[in-house]
Amino acid sequence: MITLTSITKRYGNTVALSDVSFTARQGEVLGLLGQNGAGKTTALNIITGCLAPSAGSVTIGGHDLIQEPRQARRLVGYLPEVPPLYDEMTVRAYLRFACELKLVLPADIPAHVEEIAARTGLKQMLGRRIGNLSKGYRQRVGLAQALCGDPEVLILDEPTSGLDPRQTAEFRETLREQANGRTVLFSSHILSEVQALCDRVIILHHGQIVLDSNLKQLQSGSALRLRADIQGDAKVLLPALRSLAGVRRVTRLPDESGVLSVLLECTQGECPQRTLFTLLSGLNMPLLRLQPVESSLEEVFLKITSEG
Amino acid sequence: MRAVYKRELQSFFCTPHAYVFTGVFLLLGSVFFAVGNLAAHSSDLNGFLWNAGYLWMLLTPVLTMHVYAGERRAHTDQLLFSSPVSLWGVALGKYLATITVLGLTVFLSLIYAGLIAIYGRLYPSEALCGYLGFSLQGSAFVAIDLYVSARSRTPVTAAVWAFGINLLLWLVDVLSSAVSSEILQRILEFISPYQRCAPFRSGQLSAANALYFIGVSALMLFLTVRMLDSRRWREA
Repeated sequence: MITLTSITKRYGNTVALSDVSFTARQGEVLGLLGQNGAGKTTALNIITGCLAPSAGSVTIGGHDLIQEPRQARRLVGYLPEVPPLYDEMTVRAYLRFACELKLVLPADIPAHVEEIAARTGLKQMLGRRIGNLSKGYRQRVGLAQALCGDPEVLILDEPTSGLDPRQTAEFRETLREQANGRTVLFSSHILSEVQALCDRVIILHHGQIVLDSNLKQLQSGSALRLRADIQGDAKVLLPALRSLAGVRRVTRLPDESGVLSVLLECTQGECPQRTLFTLLSGLNMPLLRLQPVESSLEEVFLKITSEG
Repeated sequence: MRAVYKRELQSFFCTPHAYVFTGVFLLLGSVFFAVGNLAAHSSDLNGFLWNAGYLWMLLTPVLTMHVYAGERRAHTDQLLFSSPVSLWGVALGKYLATITVLGLTVFLSLIYAGLIAIYGRLYPSEALCGYLGFSLQGSAFVAIDLYVSARSRTPVTAAVWAFGINLLLWLVDVLSSAVSSEILQRILEFISPYQRCAPFRSGQLSAANALYFIGVSALMLFLTVRMLDSRRWREA
């Protein structure tokens, strides 16, 4: 649905994006991650046509953004980091305007506005001036604007930044409902949000893609980590665990009521449960709990962005 | 383009800009009319239109300052630039909306011509010609100041720059009658929007001068579109 081919963006001598290529398929929810200044917003602005690339091309639904801007942009709904809202307009007038911009047929506009307002929880707010709305509702109006014309592609730049936890949860829920069947590309600083909403994640670092992976693969592809709760003497147990075949690192976790808790990081491809049981049985130290720990996106992100 | 035109026009009347522009224009216009026509017992609209022409210099920046620079500051331009509407559609929509406010102001100022028609002697074709030149002059100022607004990051800088450029055009007019060199005088008269308006006030429907104003407006619209496009290539 969206294809970026060798996109480079330079501002004078500064390279904001360097040879970025990726494809977002129909119905895929893709998260764009990166530190501040990594090039996320630049990439989104290029995809929406707000910025032109210094080199490379963008196609949306098979339409080149430079050659066929009208056809390409018709397919895109965009919610920038700062929602593009006219404070003096009412929500209804604003959504009508957004529909007109997206070339919705004039006869269909009133019903379309009502439908989008219902889908984004704005039905009661249609007559209110945008300037009088809370931050959460302003963000919803921004999302509603992006949904005008029922675009096949939704592009959202840090959509929950500045919202309180309740507004964030509500906004995420609305987003999850509206993403259904659409290609969604969104950038965020909140890694748990990306983890909760995305199928796939791309990490940008210094304007380059350093990771492009399916989220499930990302989490399952890393080495196994086990949390073990063991009743026994730490002085004896910790050296024994460290010498265990297939265990790369042992980290002691805070003890809970006399039980020793450790995190075992295994060597890639190793599964040391059997040797662990044998060891503990030999030491006569009962194993109370053994639980695999999934590596979080945050750990992957920190690892990748701290390298180079 | 229609959507941009409608929204822009709505914005003018939902914010103080159109009211300030029209109100101050009519207030100062009334002073010119009172002094030049009522106090002097004169039916000649020429003086009023000459003086009112200077009001464009002062007031069009008020009207144009927010049109592009305000959108840029509020980041609402991203909505326009990511939409299927072309840059020409955006620029024409905004220009025509601004011209509509200007046209409404000119229409309201016809009250002075009406007063002369009732209490004095009005030459309709001459007055119509004068108003046409006056309106064309205003539309050229609007196009110039909209270009300035498209270049600026904030409405205040847009207004200051636009006023500065308008003042420069007035200085061109002043200099054209002050320089001794005939060639330079002709060049300055060619550029001056005030000199270009003079034949209209004396009842001459001058195609060359009308084309001058239309040409300036078209050129500034073209430059505005180029400016908006170039921002896509260089902005961070």
